[in-house]
Amino acid sequence: MIRLAAKNLSRHRLRNTLAVLGIAVAAALLLDMVMLAGGMERSFERMLLSRGYQIRLAPKGTLPFDTEATFPGAAALSARLRADPRISAAGAVLGGALFTASGDSLLPLAGLGVEPQGQGLYELDRGADLAPGDTAGIVIGGTVAAATGWRPGDTVRIVSGTDPQVARASSGRRLVVRGVVHWLYAARGQRTVGIALPVMRGLGRVAGDRASMIMVKVIRDEDVEAVATEIRRLAPGAEVNSVTTLVARFRTRLTYFRQLSLILGTISLFVGILLVTTLLTITVNERLGEIATLRAIGVSRGGIVRRVLAEGALLTLAGNAIGLLLGLATARYLDGILTSFPGLPAAISFFVPERGAVIRAAAALLVAGSIAGAWPAWRAARAPIAATLREEAT
Amino acid sequence: MSGAQLLLEAHDLVKEFRLGARSVRALRGVSVSVRQGEYVGITGPSGSGKSTLLHVLGGLEAPDSGTVSLEGVGLGRLTDSALTRLRLLRMGFIFQRFHLLPVLTALENVELPMAEAGIGRAKRRERARELLEYVGLSERADHRATQLSGGEMQRVAIARALANRPALLLADEPTGELDLSTGRQILELFRLMNEDGMTIVVVTHDEHLAAEASRTIHLIDGRIDPVPSAQSPVPAR
Repeated sequence: MIRLAAKNLSRHRLRNTLAVLGIAVAAALLLDMVMLAGGMERSFERMLLSRGYQIRLAPKGTLPFDTEATFPGAAALSARLRADPRISAAGAVLGGALFTASGDSLLPLAGLGVEPQGQGLYELDRGADLAPGDTAGIVIGGTVAAATGWRPGDTVRIVSGTDPQVARASSGRRLVVRGVVHWLYAARGQRTVGIALPVMRGLGRVAGDRASMIMVKVIRDEDVEAVATEIRRLAPGAEVNSVTTLVARFRTRLTYFRQLSLILGTISLFVGILLVTTLLTITVNERLGEIATLRAIGVSRGGIVRRVLAEGALLTLAGNAIGLLLGLATARYLDGILTSFPGLPAAISFFVPERGAVIRAAAALLVAGSIAGAWPAWRAARAPIAATLREEAT
Repeated sequence: MSGAQLLLEAHDLVKEFRLGARSVRALRGVSVSVRQGEYVGITGPSGSGKSTLLHVLGGLEAPDSGTVSLEGVGLGRLTDSALTRLRLLRMGFIFQRFHLLPVLTALENVELPMAEAGIGRAKRRERARELLEYVGLSERADHRATQLSGGEMQRVAIARALANRPALLLADEPTGELDLSTGRQILELFRLMNEDGMTIVVVTHDEHLAAEASRTIHLIDGRIDPVPSAQSPVPAR
């Protein structure tokens, strides 16, 4: 049956190749939309959990680093949390703008004051990490190293801004580069440095024990919600979010993406169906005489339906195979464009190729392709034998 | 032949077609009986209802009124799938335009009805080769239908019609698309099949083919010409 279907399709190679390419484009778009619908959410969750920190505290009413707001009592709270036996690590983070001299101008840097004993923001690439209480060290991202040429062991000068009165850099600190790190939440191309929290407060002239965020790592996942509830009680001035809640809030923000992908995915599915239906209708119309002959010599209606459906399934399968590769390539290309949006963490992906998504898209198109063949197959099976043969003879 | 068993019986067949606002009566009360081993020619001018009669006898379309039975089984009482099965196993069809599947080889075309009947691959392949040898085409077995000449295609179509050892062979203008000499080869083949015991009903304009028939039914304007077969313009074999 499949062999015969393949042979029949080979009769009009150019036409069927073009149709397969059309189906492939529809399949690629469908795959991309399925990946887009859930990909960003999964990618966001993976990013948040990349160092295993499941809870974030931010100023009341905000999400971490959504604003420049800070909240009080941060280091004291993180120290208290570290003492909790259910918690393996906790650390406060303070963000702020920093600069370093680069020739006659100042190079802007994104500064993060961290508590090395509980940081979930970076992973060490080379050199050494900041040690707890290290107020003379600094860790730099790869982009900073590339822009400045700094290497572990170099002494560098960091300032927090310019003095408008004298138009010169304000007083800063000399720090020793301890290591080069990979920032997990930094935007593409962002120049980020990490220093001890007290140093950051000093440079940023932040009074009191304030921070932008606290990250908490709970030993057992099943304790996360209970710990989060307790932290809410301990820090009523802070917004306490577990990764689950953050993902849920992120999902709400992504409703637009999901709707868009649903609509475009449905359109591509319909395009696929229409292509298969059109092609099979043309094929059936061209071969009505042949089909009538098959019916005359004893091929059942079911046999005719199966033959036409097999051709539809083959077209869809071929389109799916090419569409899969095309979809993955397009997703990669589009992801490159979308993730280069300013301010978006580089670790975020819009299109996440997951086996489940690929299988769902392929299955949807295969089912659609089979359904698409149903109408022409039914027409072929119902064609009046004698009348068709008469028409063929004239 | 009069002692042979009755194979096909049609009684008072009426068939009407609508051509736009006008209706055309293709068959006006035709009754036909064919005994086993007979070779019946159906002749008549264009539009006399020959092909319609063949289609109705073969269960390809239902008459508006009247009955057809093959081996005592009334075709009108069968479901579509039962009628299809009957055509598959008990009838063989040969058409003017051969209607082979162009993507298949001669051998595969002959195998097709046997595959549909559920015969295993090895067995049907063996029978298909035998049949191609019978019609003189064994050396062309692996050629695609499109690589064959008109006469060769018709011989493959004949082999296909014989595939499931039918009780009755129905042919509609089998030499209509062929030149004279090729048509004569097909005619020889029909004679050979009939000598081998095959019952044949053939619609034809070809007077040579009709002359080979043991009996001729002459249709005029949807009715059987009342002139007895023996006295018909085409002599009986």
